[in-house]
Amino acid sequence: MQFHPQWATVGAIIVAAIGLFTSLSADAAEHVLAQKGKAFSVKKLQVKVGDTVKFVNEDPFAHNVFSLSDAKSFDLGSFGQGGSKTVTLDKPGTVEVECAVHPDMRMVIEVGK
Amino acid sequence: MRPHDSRALWIGVLVVACLLSWAGGVHAEPLPRDSREAAVFRGGLVFANYCVTCHGINADGNGRAARLYDPRPANLRTTDKNDAYLGLIVKMGGQALGRSPFMPPWGAELTEEQMRDIVAYVRSLNLRADATP
Repeated sequence: MQFHPQWATVGAIIVAAIGLFTSLSADAAEHVLAQKGKAFSVKKLQVKVGDTVKFVNEDPFAHNVFSLSDAKSFDLGSFGQGGSKTVTLDKPGTVEVECAVHPDMRMVIEVGK
Repeated sequence: MRPHDSRALWIGVLVVACLLSWAGGVHAEPLPRDSREAAVFRGGLVFANYCVTCHGINADGNGRAARLYDPRPANLRTTDKNDAYLGLIVKMGGQALGRSPFMPPWGAELTEEQMRDIVAYVRSLNLRADATP
């Protein structure tokens, strides 16, 4: 079989990319928050860029999670008891999180580098 | 001003406006609880607390969260839906009726009266001449 250096280069790039991806993924942490008693389980959370935050509904009724912050605008939709939704925070800054169903439910995520 | 401060301000404005109009003799007698006017008044308060984030204080679909959604929240001032259908959307949410999944189901959060009041309030704002209750 003939050796083609260009394929060796492509292979090396792919292996390096996979390694970079897995190392980044390994660094990212998952933070789990509960929604219980019409409140978030913490009012303030510090995370790093790339981390994920999982919201778990522990109330017997639907909750929602959304944010209009510049650092991350999203709406995870509504989900019932036992349901959960996850958001990845990919930019540094302050993310104010709210529940559309319960306007008094709020918390803040500080996303650091 | 923070967004939730804005909501509190609007609720305050609604309450003060209603108190002033009441004190000014527009309603010399308390509104009968079952009257349409009372339902619209109560519905306005519920709307200001739960619905303005997406539908906006003018119910025109331009709330502060509207930019998150495609399709955008409904312009309730021009809706052609009747009261029964509006009530179903409020109670069951958009997804149950093949509409936007971002419209939450309010049936577990609001009372039947509150949901009827919201519909009455939305009906009172409707600009369509051909809209049927």
